[in-house]
Amino acid sequence: MTILTVALKYLQGRMVASTLTAVSIALGVSLVIASVLLARGIKEGFTEGTTDYSLVVGAKGSPMQLVLSVVFRMDVATPNILYTTYRDLQEDPRVDVAVPMALGDAYQGIRYVATNSTYFAAFPWRRKTFSLSVGRFFRDDPPNTPTYEALLGAEAAIRTGLRIGDRFYEGEEMAEYPLTVVGILRPTRSADDRAIFFSLSSFWGMNEVARKMEVKPLTAVLIRPKRMSDVPSLHRELNVSPETQAVLPSGVLLTIFNVMALAEEALTMILTIVGIVVLLYVFVSMYSATMERKREIATMRALGARRAIVLSIVLLESCALAVVGGIAGLLGGHAVAYLGASLLVARGGLVANPFLFGVLQPVVLGSVILLGTLAGLLPAVLAYRTEVAENLAPLS
Amino acid sequence: MSLCAAFVLLPVLANGDEIPRFTFAQLVDSIRANSEVTQTIKSYNGKEVEIQGFIIPAGPPDLSFFLLSRVSALGNYCCEVPVGQDETVYVFAAKGVKILYDPLRIYRIRGVFEAGMRADAAYGPSLFRVHNARVEEAVGAKMFKIGESPVPASKP
Repeated sequence: MTILTVALKYLQGRMVASTLTAVSIALGVSLVIASVLLARGIKEGFTEGTTDYSLVVGAKGSPMQLVLSVVFRMDVATPNILYTTYRDLQEDPRVDVAVPMALGDAYQGIRYVATNSTYFAAFPWRRKTFSLSVGRFFRDDPPNTPTYEALLGAEAAIRTGLRIGDRFYEGEEMAEYPLTVVGILRPTRSADDRAIFFSLSSFWGMNEVARKMEVKPLTAVLIRPKRMSDVPSLHRELNVSPETQAVLPSGVLLTIFNVMALAEEALTMILTIVGIVVLLYVFVSMYSATMERKREIATMRALGARRAIVLSIVLLESCALAVVGGIAGLLGGHAVAYLGASLLVARGGLVANPFLFGVLQPVVLGSVILLGTLAGLLPAVLAYRTEVAENLAPLS
Repeated sequence: MSLCAAFVLLPVLANGDEIPRFTFAQLVDSIRANSEVTQTIKSYNGKEVEIQGFIIPAGPPDLSFFLLSRVSALGNYCCEVPVGQDETVYVFAAKGVKILYDPLRIYRIRGVFEAGMRADAAYGPSLFRVHNARVEEAVGAKMFKIGESPVPASKP
């Protein structure tokens, strides 16, 4: 019988206590893994899902609201700006590409995004590409002849169950202006997967107020300058104007990351305390187990087991508990992160990857095994120092 | 006279170490007609330099690319607006910039300097670039009294 077999037999002998100890380790590890994966996933979701455009121009108000609504569809749309703002920017010699956008309303919670074909165009500086899974893009129809053609994001198509040729509307007010599905996009791993796109003309046609307006409204304009060095001057000019604000999307995201960094610091403190509590639990469990079986250990010693073997058995026990708890914790952590990511997609529209593998997993597992084994060190030393004569004395 | 001008264009050695530090004033002074820059400033191409300024996150949020500017991106009521390439440096950061971004804070950028007009496929043409840059907050930047020059006095 090997030392490992003896250690495992001992663990089996007190199954309930061993299981509870392993579960407590697993819960602690799950908490660490899920927290880190979700925090990292949210950050990467924001980074990957952000726009390639350098400036977002909208009405005066909160820069964060503008970026979250226009880029991530996570907030309500900001007030309107005039279509002439887009025209002026399009004619500005510093501007390479300007994309008009109008947001508002939704179908089954999926946001309507009115824009033109430039939004989906490929440019050398663009990371994001749009391609069709089926059908075609909507037409850039003239202002007064809307076609009400809709293009669905990949997830929008799955969630709504709409197919090519289907006509749909939400709310009796929109019954006169149903949209017709003409295409479905391939997944982009961004908020565009959960959007229903159509032309600005269709957007204005559906909206009673916009129909009557001579100069049509927009929510925002996305800007890419020809030279990045023109960003500061464009940014300043549009902000000094009383009607508009220009926002650097990356600036807003970095502000969000700063807030997240504070939350992560607080979380690190909490996780450290959780780790200490779990280690104490392992220590108490191993200590009480050692104290309970002093007589058995003395018997083993009397039968010829060396002190080093007794020490190894106790250390192997705590190591085995740490291995089982650590692996279960890794699996549990990923499962919790997956659930969290699913909730984020459903409620926030942010795509976080719960299966990011890197140095985190081996480092956490290695640390848990090392610390778990160390937690058994004092009980192991107690077992090592068990005196045969003293502990084999008659009980009564 | 020309010797004096050459001294004005010489960068300050940053914090007493061997890395020369450029100011935006020096960069602007080095610009000549037709978007050319002086040979003096070009002589620093490929060398490690330090520049301090405000970060304008015009690129991705991981700050792998950003603009370094004389004025803050948030200062709508302060300072003259930077126009064109004169007072912005294109910074291509080394992997993993870890800073708490503050638009009102001055950062110290150290990296491989490149001067002269060049067009980047993603970010367009620029006059001044810093590659493989390291970014840190410019804590304790030197304060100058009225009449004091940031350029060290020339030795005889």
